[in-house]
Amino acid sequence: MSRISRRKFVEGTGAGIVATAVPLKGQTARTAPVTPSVPHTTIQVTVNGERRKIEVEDRWTLVEVLRDHLGLTGSKVGCDRGECGACTVLLDGRPVYSCSQLAVWADGRSVETVEGLTQHGQLDALQQAFIQHDGPQCGFCTSGQLMSAKALLNHNPHPTVDEVRHAMTGNICRCSNYNRYVESVMAAAGTLSASARRKA
Amino acid sequence: MNTLNQVGHASPRIDAQKRVTGTATYTGDIRLPGMLYARVLRSPHPHARIRSIDLSRAQALPGVKAILTRENCDVVWGSGDTRNKRYLFNNPVRFAGDAVAAVAALDRHIAEEATRLIEVDYETLPFVLDPEEALQPGAVEIQPGGNHSPNNRGERQPEVYRRGNIEEGLRAADQVFEDHYTSAHVNNAQLEPRVAIAQWEGDKLTVYASTQGISNCHTEIARDLNLAPEKVRVICQFMGGGFGNKNQCHDFDLMAALLAKQAGVPVKLEFTRKEDFLSVHGRWPTKQYYKVGVKRDGTLTAIQLRGYSGMGPYRKGSGGIAGIEIYQCPHVERSVTQAYTNIAVSANLRGPDYPQGVFGIESLMDDVAYSLKMDPVDFRLKNMTRKFNDQTPYTSIGLEDCIRRGAEAFEWKKRWHAPGAGSGPVKRGAGMAMGSFFSSMGRSSAVIDLDSRGMYHLHVGVTDIGTAAKTTMALIAAEELGVPLEKIDVIWGDTDRCPYSVGESGSRTTTHTGYAVVEAARDLKRQIAEKGLPQGSQMLTATANTNPAAPTAARYSFVAHFAEVEVDTELGHVKVVKYVAAHDSGRVVNPLTATSQVKGGAIMGIGMALHEELLYDKATGLPLTAGYYGARVMTHLDAPEVEVLWIETEDAYGPFGAKTLGEPTIIPSVAAVANAIYNAIGKRVKDLPITRDKILGVLA
Repeated sequence: MSRISRRKFVEGTGAGIVATAVPLKGQTARTAPVTPSVPHTTIQVTVNGERRKIEVEDRWTLVEVLRDHLGLTGSKVGCDRGECGACTVLLDGRPVYSCSQLAVWADGRSVETVEGLTQHGQLDALQQAFIQHDGPQCGFCTSGQLMSAKALLNHNPHPTVDEVRHAMTGNICRCSNYNRYVESVMAAAGTLSASARRKA
Repeated sequence: MNTLNQVGHASPRIDAQKRVTGTATYTGDIRLPGMLYARVLRSPHPHARIRSIDLSRAQALPGVKAILTRENCDVVWGSGDTRNKRYLFNNPVRFAGDAVAAVAALDRHIAEEATRLIEVDYETLPFVLDPEEALQPGAVEIQPGGNHSPNNRGERQPEVYRRGNIEEGLRAADQVFEDHYTSAHVNNAQLEPRVAIAQWEGDKLTVYASTQGISNCHTEIARDLNLAPEKVRVICQFMGGGFGNKNQCHDFDLMAALLAKQAGVPVKLEFTRKEDFLSVHGRWPTKQYYKVGVKRDGTLTAIQLRGYSGMGPYRKGSGGIAGIEIYQCPHVERSVTQAYTNIAVSANLRGPDYPQGVFGIESLMDDVAYSLKMDPVDFRLKNMTRKFNDQTPYTSIGLEDCIRRGAEAFEWKKRWHAPGAGSGPVKRGAGMAMGSFFSSMGRSSAVIDLDSRGMYHLHVGVTDIGTAAKTTMALIAAEELGVPLEKIDVIWGDTDRCPYSVGESGSRTTTHTGYAVVEAARDLKRQIAEKGLPQGSQMLTATANTNPAAPTAARYSFVAHFAEVEVDTELGHVKVVKYVAAHDSGRVVNPLTATSQVKGGAIMGIGMALHEELLYDKATGLPLTAGYYGARVMTHLDAPEVEVLWIETEDAYGPFGAKTLGEPTIIPSVAAVANAIYNAIGKRVKDLPITRDKILGVLA
């Protein structure tokens, strides 16, 4: 069930690329400094629908490349050791800790970050619900919470409260605003299903 | 209470959109041209003298640009220790995690590799982890003069508070209860790890800090680096939490500045998560010995506390143990000793002196109530504080309503039962606890500029650590000015653009800076009445530097929490299944964000009750649980739904009668959970955290 949904999601992302016709950048992204003695690799990654060719050191993590070399600082590094979830992004539609993925592993794959949630200046239903229901306190874990929630709603648009908690339990919030995050996701799911009903 | 137009209405944060789109710029998101990355090398020993440091291999690594050690840096970090001289790099090193060197290099991988290439020759020294053992004769001396950290008067004596005569109080009792409790070192564990970026432009230093108080940070950097205040600028635009451990200027701010000076380019110094757990500070561990005297009818005659707090090797925090002040009682004696130990440094964490002390006294008072066959709620209603220290009236007190209405909402009578009742294996139990927190009034500033387009530019030196301080300030300004919230443009987090603010510690921003905002708004209204609205390029500017006199009455916030737990008596697992938090914080400025604060504080306290501890290996003196998994902070799956009840008392002080809010939220939560566990299983765990092994231990 979730596998099918995931494939659909990936296909959806692909269609987005065709529609917006973002060309493959002719030039490899500048990623200095690259230490010459360290092995490096040129990878191609689709980031938020845009294909990017990047030269990376093999030791760089995905979140390092996103933040330090592509300027996508929405994904945060809270622990850099796969504990907190602040760096959660979608890799081919599945939520991963981008601090625990080497950038070279993302070669040929698709990455979605918090910056990709807003489409044509329109906030995602999750983002709107996070604002209305006071999801972020300090906000440092918020991008990760959003991406985990996004992955959940992509394959399960009508989750129960318990399903939300399970899907997001890899995202620590030390402000402990867990009630608000769950409330936000349930509200977003409600909004989405209401708009789906209207369309039907 | 009268209804206001802006204040008191739920309002989403004015910066919420930035926080949900990844466009809020946190300190670590800043990248300056030519910037280097820095890492710190730390002691792997709990106590050791450094014989020598060999930098040759690190210096030879291509890409390394600057290195600091004690050899080339004798800068004293003033706010790192209030009693002794604490250098940025100390010899001897006094805990596993004490800084030994800092390296700046082209990127963080090179900097990290360079720290591994630094060769340090250590002579290991004996160490001591427990505060009482540290005070024994013959214990290794951690600081010159011994391990008894001096009190506020500089004497190596405990901090003592007395009223009445404790011996008389104990003699007057029909029954004396005696018990002891311990609490663990718990880390603040805010999600944003420590980071500082320093940039020199000529002789002017800009530090992009992750701080709870730009003003304090600014003053202290200038002091420690011997710079004129106008030569230092501190910026913190978005901040990923702190809970008390980002109050002052920190060693990494200073290290970044010195590395940047040496290298001639900007430097970003980052801590790893492990460093963040070990090398900043957490809540001080305590040992608490109580005696309580009580009459047969439940009237208290005496409360005595002898406590010990382990401060780590540097004195950064008060080391106090608070809680007994929530009871009225004629004879009270509290004596707390702060000791140096070779564990991570201890200082402020949300309600610094409170949750551990309230755990101790509220555990014992619970036992007293049960022993007298009194309902714990009735016992507290009988003995709760009516005047501060039984002497000074409160400006307002909603404690009784917090207890009564909280108990009603919780359905206390239905959920509470005889201890240990129920057949198991999963047993339910209900517990409650109460608390109070100082609601200070004091110095702060605000500036409002009004332009001819009708925008009010509010300058406040806040950073907004997650408390919604910016939104609170904007609401207060909008209320006083009588304009829509959208007309308020808040400028914050930059010492070159904002006036002094007290900093987000002590839950003081609303009461201190909010008061200054009210005064600035009033001044602006007077100016408008006098001069009319500004036209064209005109601008009206109102400034307030306020320092309201403390009221003669005591100003406190009050709180009562109620928890219901399920305890699996075969596995020792505890789940909090119902939770009610009743709060008197005076008038609530923004119910939306205030409620979030309460929910978060309560849940954080549940983690302190059940999971969190920085464990040390007694044989090696090395920490074992430095990280989120090890500390087992609360997750989505652990968190119960917290029901929040506002008891809004009328208070004549503070902006629109607002009292403190952020810290009271955690104060009684630990004790409420502990008391619920007792009610469920009929046995009391007296050492925090109440982990599965301890529950199975008392049940065995």
